[in-house]
Amino acid sequence: MKFQIDSSSGPHIGIVTLTGRVDARNCTELQNSFMSWLMDTSRFVFDCSGLEFIDSSGLGTIVSCLRKALDHNGDLKLAALSPKVSMVLELTKASKLFSIFPDASEAVNSYVTGTKE
Amino acid sequence: MKTLIVIREKDYGWMSSFFPGVHPLVVPICNKPFIEFLLDFAILAGSTAVRIVSDGSLNSVEAYCETGDRWGIELGYGSIRQNDSDETVMEKNRLFCSEDRVLVINGFIFIRYADKAGLKSFFAETSSGSLSRCSSGSIELTGIPEDVSAAPGTLPFSLTDLHSIDSYYRLNAEILTDYPSPYVLPGYSNEPDCHMGRNVVISKGAEVIKPVVIGNNVQIMKGAIVGPSAVIGSNVIVDRESTVSRSIVLDNTYIGEQLDIVGRIASGNTLVDPETAFLVSMEDPHLLAGMNKAARRQGLVLIRYLAHAAIALLLILLLILPYLFFRILLSVTAKWQTRAVTFYGANEGKSFTSALPSISCGGTTCSLFTRLSLDRFPMFFHVLAGKIGVIGSFPLEVKESGHGETEIFSGYRPAVFSYAEAEDWPADAGESAIVERYYAVHGTPAQDIVLTVKAFLNRMHPGEQE
Repeated sequence: MKFQIDSSSGPHIGIVTLTGRVDARNCTELQNSFMSWLMDTSRFVFDCSGLEFIDSSGLGTIVSCLRKALDHNGDLKLAALSPKVSMVLELTKASKLFSIFPDASEAVNSYVTGTKE
Repeated sequence: MKTLIVIREKDYGWMSSFFPGVHPLVVPICNKPFIEFLLDFAILAGSTAVRIVSDGSLNSVEAYCETGDRWGIELGYGSIRQNDSDETVMEKNRLFCSEDRVLVINGFIFIRYADKAGLKSFFAETSSGSLSRCSSGSIELTGIPEDVSAAPGTLPFSLTDLHSIDSYYRLNAEILTDYPSPYVLPGYSNEPDCHMGRNVVISKGAEVIKPVVIGNNVQIMKGAIVGPSAVIGSNVIVDRESTVSRSIVLDNTYIGEQLDIVGRIASGNTLVDPETAFLVSMEDPHLLAGMNKAARRQGLVLIRYLAHAAIALLLILLLILPYLFFRILLSVTAKWQTRAVTFYGANEGKSFTSALPSISCGGTTCSLFTRLSLDRFPMFFHVLAGKIGVIGSFPLEVKESGHGETEIFSGYRPAVFSYAEAEDWPADAGESAIVERYYAVHGTPAQDIVLTVKAFLNRMHPGEQE
């Protein structure tokens, strides 16, 4: 899990790169980290290109992160979902909660252009 | 006429990743094993004997079809080698094929037909040779026709390739929407396009939209929508507010709350997108139970323990005298023994051992001992110690091979009685796991008290289980 701020397109956008698995074992770490990242920005892109698996706890944490970002007048967008992760999001209807983009750069640009997917 | 079914591993190998451990001939198509469709066709074509040959194991096919008595035919099995040519296969089955017309179904193919009645006369009159071919197989006829003067007619059947999970999915959907369907589908059907098995419970507020096929022991909970174009296998629970449409749910599957299964194949904890052939194995069934449920349930742990301990204490007080009576009686007659059994605990890596009575007697004494659940009496003390529940999952025995571990699911809560016993669900471990998963998600301490009483009474009055 890696965090960086992208200011190239104007606004500060937090890009979180998720890799491997987000599950019961590491979701607390993501939750805690997200609270600290919120001090820097409220606009996030979760780059899921390296994310292989997500379970109920992981999904719950990402939804909770979205809620917190929205509470701070920001947003959390998902990018580059693998087919498997995408299937889990569709199964649980969580895909309806997020704006989902094919890659991180499109998700970042959407904050500038206001595009919704 | 006779029919020879030749099926090779290379044709059906792709199925093993989607249906591990299930022979492709017994994989269900609209809740009916595939082999039954082939046998139906062979019988309609006029066959009285069928032989299935394969280069893979046919054990599970043989276990299912046996000698063919169920269909009124003579059914046999044989093996071939992987690199046997079609000619070699025929040569190896010369005895079966001699002195008669033989219909040879070669490959992993589905045979479509519309006119059932015309098949027999067609095969009786048609000259021998290759009748139809597709990329996955062919149909051939050998021998001399009964009526050589008859002009060859148009083929009353066609072949469908079964070469991918998408073709399997589409075939199910097409059979389901074929109306009027020439195929006999399992279950009763009061109206077209709707086939229901036994013990199907559709809760108030649930919706079933045709066409659907629903298997045995199925619960469709409040607010759930099943269909259109849904195939639901046996021992399935579709939980509250979930949608299953344009999908196949195979046997022994629990679909949790508020899920969308659209255009998918669900089997146990596996979800397949037939279009892309992507497969997701859900490692935790709670994913199928809504995202915040698990956290909310943590608060129930203490209340549940208190409720279970109270019931266990009550049952100890109630049963201690009969237990001691039987123990003394059977010890005197040297029929009392105890057996230390180790079971997997609720938490990963934990286990507990219980010295369970193992009495060596038959008749009324033994029956009464079991009916009063005295065979499980020592386990009530584990409930007081907080190691197990009074009602939950069938405790899984620790085996030296470690095989039992694979059967543990994340809602596993070992207990004296199982939810399956309370609900008179089939006793098979795989099937009872479905009802246990359901209560792992929905069970409340109050419900547990009621279900413990039900399980206790069900053991006291064992009914006929299917």
